[in-house]
Formats: sequence, C-alpha cells, structure tokens
Amino acid sequence: MRPMFALLLLALLCATVANVNSNGQDEDDADNDFAEFDEDFAEAHYDTMTAENADSSKEKVETQKPRVVESDEDDDGLVENEDEFEHFQDEEEFEGYDATDAKEPAVDPKAVPKLTIPNIPLHFRTHWDSYWMEMLMVAGLMAYFANFFAGKAKNARLAQLWFSTHKALLDENFALVGDDGKTENENPGLNKESESLYTLWCSGRTCCEGMLVELKMIKRQDLVSLVAGLMRPQLDQAQIKIELTRNVMDSFVFAVGSKKTITKVFKEYTDLNKFCSLVSKPEERYNVPNGFGVLSEIPEGTSAILESRVITALNKYQSYIDYLHISDQFSGPIQQEEGNNLKQPETKAVLLAGFNLPKHAEMETVKPLLLLIFYLMERLKTYRMSKEGKAKADKNRLRVEEEFLKSTHAARAEAAAQRREDKRKQEKERVLAEEDPEKQRRWELKEQKRQAKKNAPKMKRLAVKSL
Amino acid sequence: MNMTVDPRRKEKINRYKAAKNPGQNEDMMPDYMNILGMIFSMCGLMMKLKWCAWFALYCSCISFASKRASDDAKQVLSSFMLSVSAVVMSYLQNPAAMTPPWAS
Repeated sequence: MRPMFALLLLALLCATVANVNSNGQDEDDADNDFAEFDEDFAEAHYDTMTAENADSSKEKVETQKPRVVESDEDDDGLVENEDEFEHFQDEEEFEGYDATDAKEPAVDPKAVPKLTIPNIPLHFRTHWDSYWMEMLMVAGLMAYFANFFAGKAKNARLAQLWFSTHKALLDENFALVGDDGKTENENPGLNKESESLYTLWCSGRTCCEGMLVELKMIKRQDLVSLVAGLMRPQLDQAQIKIELTRNVMDSFVFAVGSKKTITKVFKEYTDLNKFCSLVSKPEERYNVPNGFGVLSEIPEGTSAILESRVITALNKYQSYIDYLHISDQFSGPIQQEEGNNLKQPETKAVLLAGFNLPKHAEMETVKPLLLLIFYLMERLKTYRMSKEGKAKADKNRLRVEEEFLKSTHAARAEAAAQRREDKRKQEKERVLAEEDPEKQRRWELKEQKRQAKKNAPKMKRLAVKSL
Repeated sequence: MNMTVDPRRKEKINRYKAAKNPGQNEDMMPDYMNILGMIFSMCGLMMKLKWCAWFALYCSCISFASKRASDDAKQVLSSFMLSVSAVVMSYLQNPAAMTPPWAS
C-alpha cells in the first residue's frame, strides 16, 4: 500500500507543478486586461520617483549650502584646489608614474652629478642699463680730464700774457728777470710751481734785494675747485713781494687794501698785529676810496705814503688793488707755537702787494700797477720821518721786544738753568775721568764750597773798619 | 713816475732761492686729497665698497691736478695705482653693478 501511496503523492506533485505553470500564463493574460491600470501604476510610480528625486535634490542643495558657507569662511582658492587637484593625490591615477620616479635615483649614483654653470654671467650680456652709475663715474672722469687740459692751457696762456705785457717794464728795472734757481739759468722766465701758480723772480735793482711775483690763478685745471668757485667767486691774483735793502726805508708798518683783506691780514701777520691799529674812517682821514681799510702804526708815515698820486691810483684801480703792505718788521704769519720760540723771529723790510687780474685778459689795464710799485719803492727810499715819528717808532719796537722777552722769560730762565746744569755735569765727568786724585779732591772741595754758599742764607755783608 | 736814472744794478743780483718753508699760504689740497684717496682705496679694497673705490679714483685725480711741480711724482702715481687697483679688484670680485651708498 505504501508504494502506491508514494506513487500517488508523486503523481499529485507533478500535477500541481503542471498546474502552476498553466496558472502563470493565465495570469499574464489576466494582467493584459488590466494594462491601463498597469500604465497608471507605472506613471504613479514615476511620479513618486520624481517626487523622491526632488526631495533628494532638495536635500542635496541643503547639504551643499553649508559647504558654500564653509568655503566662504575659508580661502576660496584652497577649497577649489582641493576639489580640482584631488586626483593628483589619488594613488591609483599615478601608478606607473610613481614607480618610474622611484626608479630614477637608483640609476643616477653611478653617473657624475650634472651641474650646468653658465660661462658668462647673464647680467653682463643683458643689463648694461644697470651700470648707469659706473657710466656716470667714467663720464665724470672724462669730463674732469678734459677740463684739466683746457684749464691748464688757459692758466698757462694767461700767465704768459701777463709776463709778455710786463716784460719790457721789468727789463727796464731789473738786471735779472726770471730765474729758475739753478746754477745755469736754463729757463729765464716764468716758473711753473703748479698748474695754477706761476712765479717770476727779478733781481738787480736799487733799493731792493729782489722781487718775487706770484701769479695765483683760479684753479681752472681742477673741476671741483671750479664748482666751489661758483659759490665763492675768486679772481686771478698777482702777488708781489719785494725785499727791500736794509735801512732803505724808515721804520714804520703800514697797510692799505680792501676791508675784507685788511681784516684778514691784520689777524694773520705778526708785524701788522703787533705794531698797527685799524684806522677808523679812513675815507675822511686819508681820502682812500670807499670800501678800503687802513692799518697804520705812525700816522705821519701813513699820510706820507698815501699822498695824492697814490690816492689817485687807488681810486682809479680800486677793483684791481687787493692790498699794499709796507713794513720794516715783517716776519711772516703769526706762529702758533710762539711760546717755544726763545729767539725773536728775524725781521725784514718788505713791500708786499696783491693785485687782482682783469677778468677778460686785458693785462694792459693793470700794467700801471707795477709802475705804482716802483714809485712806492722810490718814495720809501727818499722819505724820512720827523724826529718825533722816529722816536715813536723806536719806542714801539722796544715795547714789542720787551713784551716778547716778558712772555718768554720763564722759558728762557728754564733754558738757562738747564744749560748751567749740563755744563756742571760735563765738568764733573771730565774731573772723574782724570786719574789725578789730588785734582779730584780739589774739585770736590770747590764744589762743596759752592753748594754751601748756595745754601747759606743771604745776608748783607757789613764792612767793619778796624781802628 | 718817470725814472730818469737807470735803477738796474748788476752787482746787486741775488739768485732765486725757493722758499724752504712756504708757510701757511701753501696749498694743502693735494696732500689732503692724497690721504683721502688712500683711505677710500683701503675702504674699497677691504670692505668691497665700489663707490669708495670710485671716490678714491676721483681724489687721486684732484691730487694729481693740483700737485706742485716740486712735489714727488711717485706719491701721486702710487695713489693713482692704488685707487685704480681698488676699482679693478672690486669689479673682479663682484662684477655686479654698483649700488650707491644710500640705496644699500
């Protein structure tokens, strides 16, 4: 029975499976009947999907919005970069690249490291403009040298012009015109001391030992001095120094010149400083032109020099005359370390003059000034002061000498003591060097006596006559 | 102002003696510039300051232009050489363009 039941069960099972398959087909047919509904359902489903999408997109916007706010707070570029270049950090993107990179250094160590050194610096070829300061400097140097040669030539020309203009007059007055100081006078004429200083020595004339003319030109050869000259204008100058023969002139000191120069030389020169005083209102007193100052020691001597002819010349050549200085006690500029000098400086009788040279090289206009110098020399030779004047001059010289002695008294006393001491030491050494003991003993006795005398109180000796 | 008698005296001729001590009228410019040039040259060489070397060159130029004829030419020449070498050395060491002292 049991196998029968099993067969029945199997047959039933097969029948149900077959029934299910046939049912599916039936359902499909039945579904076709409700196709409209299916479409509706599909649409409805679509709608719900879009609604869902809309919801999700809303959510996305909502989730993006805080990001935007965040990106506003942070750096814009950084955020974008992160977004843009994120793939660079992605290892998968660069799988092969990293591998080759890692392999390269493994190859390199065997080879020599490759260094490229350019032979010429780049800026040499490219940036000449950056050397503008160097160019300026070189241009300045070129300008300086161009001016040097031009200025030098002009100074030489001016000096030569002065010499040629005055040569005839100098030849008439001096036996020797132009001397270079060498045994053989190789170059009779102007001596060039520097590019802006020319000298001329003349000698062999009555009244004087010699005349030194110094032509001090503007430093035309030096561009820097020229520029400085724009602020403080200078002039070419001829400075004349005549050393007078002793006792040709009477003793007095005098100077006349432009006020500026007079105040300067008054401070500078020893003789003017010690013997002279500045004359107040010289225009009224001596009729000198306005703007001139007078330094005078003896009024009598001053008025004798400033007589009508000289005054006329001063008025006529006012712009060309810088100063005239006549002195029998000239000893040069004041020495700073006067305290150390124990001897009074040697004095000379001189006639000094400073003339401005004309600007436009018209040397003829200043030629009469040299005549004025010769005239003054003759005048000094013939002029003799009155007795009172001479006495006053002698008194002044004595006073100056006394002042000098007084100022150096202490120093001189010290020097004298030093000398005495040195002398005694020498004598002692000489005596000790001698071998005669008798002589040494005698010298010691003498020395003791001298010391005792020196130390003994000073008393007046009274001579008592014995009856 | 006419001279009637010839003032010339041959027996009174004195030869020219150059002043041993020209005194304070002497122009000290060349000496000052010489020293200044040497100082600038040294600064240019030691501290590698180009403008110092250039100034040294200018100083030696001024010194050369205003030197006395009696002065020793060697001194001026040596100052010139020193300043030129300062300029050359500073550009050999560093060929870059000069920076003015106020810009650096």
